Amino acid sequence: MSVPGQATHSRRSTEQRAARRQVLIGLTWVSPWLFGAGLFVFAPMAMSLYYSFTDYPLLEPPLWSGLDNYKRMFSDPTFLRVVWNTTAYAAVSIPLFTIVALILAGVLAKTGRMSSFYRACVFIPTLVPLIASAMVWMWLFNGEYGLINKLLAMISIRGPAWIVDRNWVLPSMVIMSVWGVGQGVVIYVAAMQDVPKQLYEAARIDGMGTVRQFIHVTLPMISPAILFNVIALTIAAVQVFAVPSVMFRRPDGQNPAGHYYTMYLYENAFVYGNMGYASAMAWMQLLVVLLLTALLLFAGRRLVHYARV
Amino acid sequence: MSNASPKPGARSRLKGVYFHIAMLLVSLVFLAPLVWMLSTSVKPEDQAASGEIHLLPTPPSSVFAQAADNYSAVWNDRTIRFPLYLRNTLIVAILGVVGMTLSSAVVAYGLSRVQWRGRGVVFFLVLATMMIPFPVLMVPLYIIFRELGWTGTLKPLWVPAWFGNAFNIFLLRQFFMTIPPQLDEAARLDGCSHWSIFWRIILPLAKPALAVVALFHFIYVWNDFVGPLIFLTDRDQFTLALGLQLYQSQSGNTPWNLLMAASALMISPLVVLFMLTQRTFVQSASTEGLK
Amino acid sequence: MGTPASTYELTRRAAVGAMAAAAAGYAILGPRGTQEIPRGRVVLDYWEKWTRHEGDAMERVVSDFNKSQDRIFVRYLVVSDIGQKSLVSIAGSRPPDIIGLYAFNVPPYAEMGAIIPMDELAPRAGVRMENYAPGVREVMRYKGGWWAMVNTAGSIALYYNRSAFRDAGLDPDRPPRTIAELDAAHARLLRTDSRGALERVGFLHREPGWWSWLWAYHFGGRIFDEASGRALLDSPENIRAMEWMQGYARDLGLDRIKIFAESFGNYFTPENPFLTGKVGMIVQGPWIANLINAFKPDLDYGVAPFPTVHGEAGSSPVGLIDTDVLVIPRGAKHPEAAMEFIAFTQRQDMTERLATAHCKPSPLTSVSAEFLAGHPNRGIGVHYDILRSDRAFVPPRTRVWQQFKDEFDSVVQRMWRLEVPAAEALPRLQVRVQSLIDQAADQQFRRHGGADPAPGGAA
Repeated sequence: MSVPGQATHSRRSTEQRAARRQVLIGLTWVSPWLFGAGLFVFAPMAMSLYYSFTDYPLLEPPLWSGLDNYKRMFSDPTFLRVVWNTTAYAAVSIPLFTIVALILAGVLAKTGRMSSFYRACVFIPTLVPLIASAMVWMWLFNGEYGLINKLLAMISIRGPAWIVDRNWVLPSMVIMSVWGVGQGVVIYVAAMQDVPKQLYEAARIDGMGTVRQFIHVTLPMISPAILFNVIALTIAAVQVFAVPSVMFRRPDGQNPAGHYYTMYLYENAFVYGNMGYASAMAWMQLLVVLLLTALLLFAGRRLVHYARV
Repeated sequence: MSNASPKPGARSRLKGVYFHIAMLLVSLVFLAPLVWMLSTSVKPEDQAASGEIHLLPTPPSSVFAQAADNYSAVWNDRTIRFPLYLRNTLIVAILGVVGMTLSSAVVAYGLSRVQWRGRGVVFFLVLATMMIPFPVLMVPLYIIFRELGWTGTLKPLWVPAWFGNAFNIFLLRQFFMTIPPQLDEAARLDGCSHWSIFWRIILPLAKPALAVVALFHFIYVWNDFVGPLIFLTDRDQFTLALGLQLYQSQSGNTPWNLLMAASALMISPLVVLFMLTQRTFVQSASTEGLK
Repeated sequence: MGTPASTYELTRRAAVGAMAAAAAGYAILGPRGTQEIPRGRVVLDYWEKWTRHEGDAMERVVSDFNKSQDRIFVRYLVVSDIGQKSLVSIAGSRPPDIIGLYAFNVPPYAEMGAIIPMDELAPRAGVRMENYAPGVREVMRYKGGWWAMVNTAGSIALYYNRSAFRDAGLDPDRPPRTIAELDAAHARLLRTDSRGALERVGFLHREPGWWSWLWAYHFGGRIFDEASGRALLDSPENIRAMEWMQGYARDLGLDRIKIFAESFGNYFTPENPFLTGKVGMIVQGPWIANLINAFKPDLDYGVAPFPTVHGEAGSSPVGLIDTDVLVIPRGAKHPEAAMEFIAFTQRQDMTERLATAHCKPSPLTSVSAEFLAGHPNRGIGVHYDILRSDRAFVPPRTRVWQQFKDEFDSVVQRMWRLEVPAAEALPRLQVRVQSLIDQAADQQFRRHGGADPAPGGAA
């Protein structure tokens, strides 16, 4: 009994030693990320969690203030306004972006001589850096000399003062985001090309037209890609910053309709010097992103599952 | 579909013509903003701000002279120094791309080609960090870089790239997983170390994926606005994104034709790169779909 | 991978390679930012907001200073969003040695301990408070300490287009003195085209809209009481002033204004609407004369104090003093040397040269005859009157001014668009702004037990 036991034991310990060695090797390979993420992601997260419970002016050390920063948000009208603006932007732009991307992808998924050209045309706008696209669209949206209003004038419509008029700020932002739809199109085209051809054959035998094939075969088959893309879009929309901070900034101050969450967070941190409050806003944002992602995954899993039955 | 039509070929050809007309229109809509940008950038100021729509300046023969005027005015501006900002952006981009590609590949190797307990946990952590919004890190990163004495230098913009990035690691790991394991088993029998397997077998096979990561990071650097905005103070260190914003906001004194010329200058390297590497580009964009 | 590389593929790769090589070459050999620094000198970094001709004038002062001695070398660096960037750099312990800020930055910076006091440094370098015009002294002092040096002084006045006045049948030698007269002149100057679109207006509050808060002062009120730390946004004067502004939006028609305003060129261009005659009267600082001289030298303009509701102008007009200041940030490595440079800029010949280049009055009490005689701004006398007036005012001096102003601007925009009546919006804004002030005071108290920023205490 003792002999086999010892053998097992020693074998196990050799195995354990080998396993430990493997862990060591693995850790060595991933150490750059572990170190980098520790220093540039996890430590900052912990720090900002702590700061969010402090009063922390830019030039002085943080001072514990409990839940003050979190309480303050709900009585801060500017905070409530940026939350509203950001929510409205996400709620309108994400569905529209997705629908347009899906339609274009459905049309462009067929391989043909011209469709790679069309795909390139749709994709090129996504290359334009945000700041540059903000400049270009400011010019297009100019109420007097902008191309859009000039074209509208040709059909006798007097266009609005897009980025000045509070009612047109949201449409301006949405139009710009749809201009960048190429990102989504490319993803969906790639997903559509992976859909097995037999499924379409079967659908055709069932007498389905092109549109019904798209709805009943294509969409369910690429639903994981849609879900992933919608999550990515949501995370991005919640953080929208560069474009509106350039487009809606005027000599007489920021256009309140074009004031978004991350902009106000940035102003609190680096303009007003309320780093504690900014940190609390950042954690609120993180929680919302996590919550939305979980919700989308939950809803998405059911939808994706349902479609595949 | 009806099969009563006597000439199905003609009909579908006609449908095809309609389709292409529609698609050409759609393409035009997508390209129009950039075309208009270029058009504005080769006009004199008074023609840029006029009520009519012309693609070329009047007289059209003045287009080259006017383009030269506008673009050289942007390039040679004394206070907003685009040549300098281009250099800074390139420094950040080159150092960042090299670091990002290398480090992400190393980490991805550890997450795909080495068997070890805890690998799943680390991979999950990597994926989880993809969801963290940058604003959560903004304030503490500023403080960390300040303690390191890096604010006011380009370091905060490229050093972190040397530690990999969740998305790129994920992308490379997925690719490394598709490489048959027999390859490194054979190499291991020949006495190769992990490092030489990585260096001699995996990296050469993964060139397309590495190109995607490099391209991604390059575009990211070209695009990045928040990072430079927070970490740079000295105007001599600005990147193109900040420079362009500065050019526009500078007491609001930049005419539209010059602003469009500056924007075109900033966009052009990316478009050229796109023309040259279209396949990699489209591939890189589609990998975001978690194929 | 499997297919043999075509020639196209090869040229494509060669092109990418060439681009990468060119990029690397440019990154290594490309232009550099820093100027040549003479050896063996103390180097001071001076951050300033001015560019172009205004910057050139200051750079000449800097280079004169560098030539005048051989111990100190000042580097002139242009920084945008200077108030914010400076704060971040001071917090980052990497501040420059001298910063050119705006007057309204001084109280918040002093409260935060971001700048060092000059009470002892300045006299040692030979600069005395008595050298400065009385209105200017108020900008330099805060809560008993001396925090900043004024390098150019500005005051805000009414600029009007005399040819437009003549054209509209108004007397160009009699600018409006009361708000009612301003309204009347505006009505006369108003011109529309056949479709009813605006061609010219007399006055537009939002053009350029830089001081959206100052109307209350011309209606006999103010928006902040420094002694008690109370915002006065819901005062009857401020409500009346904002209702007056809303009246313009209502009468001119919002849609018409929006379209009209988008035809305005940017401020620093020949398309500036005052220069093109689209707006007949604007509220502006003396520097606009530079624009006029550069782009439209034949523009016949006049300058007067901005009207008040009662119009008892006389020798002490109501007007905003808006100046640029030089400060030494906390953590600056060579405060003595920095002060030596600042003192150099405050010499009468230097201030006058700079003021001439900026078209502004000089901040000093003693003014040379040549300076006044050769001044490029024909309304300089009016700016001096405001600077010396006992009814001149400075921007509200509170630590939270930046946020105060941002909140105010955003409400002004909403009021201007007639989304909310002034009488309803301002009391709400008052509560909001007061809570910001109180909160800052409360935080200050918890930290420092209510002590004022003492001169010398923060160093």
